[in-house]
Amino acid sequence: MKKYLSLYFSFVRTGFIADLEYRANFLFRVLTDVIWYATQILAFEVLYDHTKQIGGWTLPQIRVFLGLLFVTDAFYMIMLNENLDQMTEKIRKGDLDLLLTKPINSQFMVSLQKVSASLFTNLVIGLSFLTWAIAAYPMAISAWRYASLVILIPAGLISLYAMRFFIATLALIFARTDNLQFAWYQIYRLGMRPDGIYPNWLKLILRTLLPMALIAALPADLILVDFDWRWLAWATIWSAVLLYGTHRFWKFGLSKYTSASS
Amino acid sequence: MKTVAAICKRTWRRNWAFARLGILSNIEYRFNFAVDALLQPILTVLVESTLWLALFQLQGSETFAGFTRNQYLSYVIWSSFVARLTTNWMYEFRMINEIESGSLNSLLVRPISFFESYLSQFLGYKLIVTAASLCVPIGVCLIFDFPVFWSRLPLALLTAAFYMFFLYLLSFCVATFAFHLTRITGLSVAKNLTLAVLSGEILPLDLFPPGWHNFLVHLPFASGVYIPVGYLTGRIAIDQVWQAAQVQVVSLAGVACLARFLWRKGLRTYVGTGA
Repeated sequence: MKKYLSLYFSFVRTGFIADLEYRANFLFRVLTDVIWYATQILAFEVLYDHTKQIGGWTLPQIRVFLGLLFVTDAFYMIMLNENLDQMTEKIRKGDLDLLLTKPINSQFMVSLQKVSASLFTNLVIGLSFLTWAIAAYPMAISAWRYASLVILIPAGLISLYAMRFFIATLALIFARTDNLQFAWYQIYRLGMRPDGIYPNWLKLILRTLLPMALIAALPADLILVDFDWRWLAWATIWSAVLLYGTHRFWKFGLSKYTSASS
Repeated sequence: MKTVAAICKRTWRRNWAFARLGILSNIEYRFNFAVDALLQPILTVLVESTLWLALFQLQGSETFAGFTRNQYLSYVIWSSFVARLTTNWMYEFRMINEIESGSLNSLLVRPISFFESYLSQFLGYKLIVTAASLCVPIGVCLIFDFPVFWSRLPLALLTAAFYMFFLYLLSFCVATFAFHLTRITGLSVAKNLTLAVLSGEILPLDLFPPGWHNFLVHLPFASGVYIPVGYLTGRIAIDQVWQAAQVQVVSLAGVACLARFLWRKGLRTYVGTGA
């Protein structure tokens, strides 16, 4: 464990050095995410100009939901996104071979090697927006509901990682899956809306089989609307199962991997 | 006259070869192509429809901001298709990569320009993807009887195609920044996200407050989604399409000049050794 932590800190340090090398791009990447956040906020603000509720969610609730989404997304973007986006190329071009020969867990390497340090700014923006949204929320929220976020945000992050990782790992089997990686974004969009807007069957799927609701919808629902311990326990257990599932699926994928010549 | 005809023939043959390259390289991996041409548009339509269905179901009203549920669903279905028709970020990334990595050198010595070779490949790719994925919006609208003015389809597609050229030129301009800044993928993504909002892909522009709406429809980006899809689905009339076309022509000319200037300026600073 100590070895992995030490290695990860090295990745963080290298990430900072690499990102600061190209300062204009550093700024553009921050700008990109600011635009992405603004787009999400703008879309809901415009819709709420014409209605009081969407799927039973009011505007102050949506703002908290978006704050949670931004925070989880920022963690994902910093730690995982670039690695998983590049995974298909690594597999197709044979760069994965090099990682497989290293005396370290290959899933760890392929998932966490590149830290997008420039995006720490996004985390600050996401946390600021969440703090503002909670402060502006018209009803009081008890402290232990806030405390549950310590579990819910990592659970959401793990679910997000697991779903993305499953799709990225398919490249080990199908060789070229670039467009499937783009289709991932559409699946992710299901988690970018409060699950109250979906029919009950889809809502259930998004909290279980395709756990996009664990990213922000379930945490927001638990802290703002209806705190149910069973859902908190479910999020914890299910994210652990998913994490283990990624490990098994990676092993399975590797057994089908035929190197760069595939 | 004969010389002009010969030049046209040569240009066509040269560009067709690159367009075929674009087609073949995309259908080489069929699973990948099926995902791109069919799965992605279907997923987009499903995801976007859920929001509008929920809005109408829970509001219990027949209309939302003056339009019916079926009009929104029709807009969502066609906007997903048209946005995919015009988008070109994949080729923009490739162009940036060629300049960043120095692999542009091999293209500069070929008997076709960088601009032309990518445009031909891009058009070839768009041709097959559009042909394959057009069946999705047409099929869905016919099955569910969503409001579509079918006679307006050719003009709507023409408007979108025109915007596609405009967007390609804009991408070319962004790619030329790679001559000076080396790493510019961040700029490219920021531009694409902004255009998604300005074109009406995220939300129909008529939902914005009146002041914003008036401003946004007078930008060339409205022709990306809002104008063609709004016209096709009955949200806007023909006079707005012509007005947008005028803005498009002026913008296209402006961006073409800018692209030419930036490319020449970039080449002067290019050392051909990569990033």
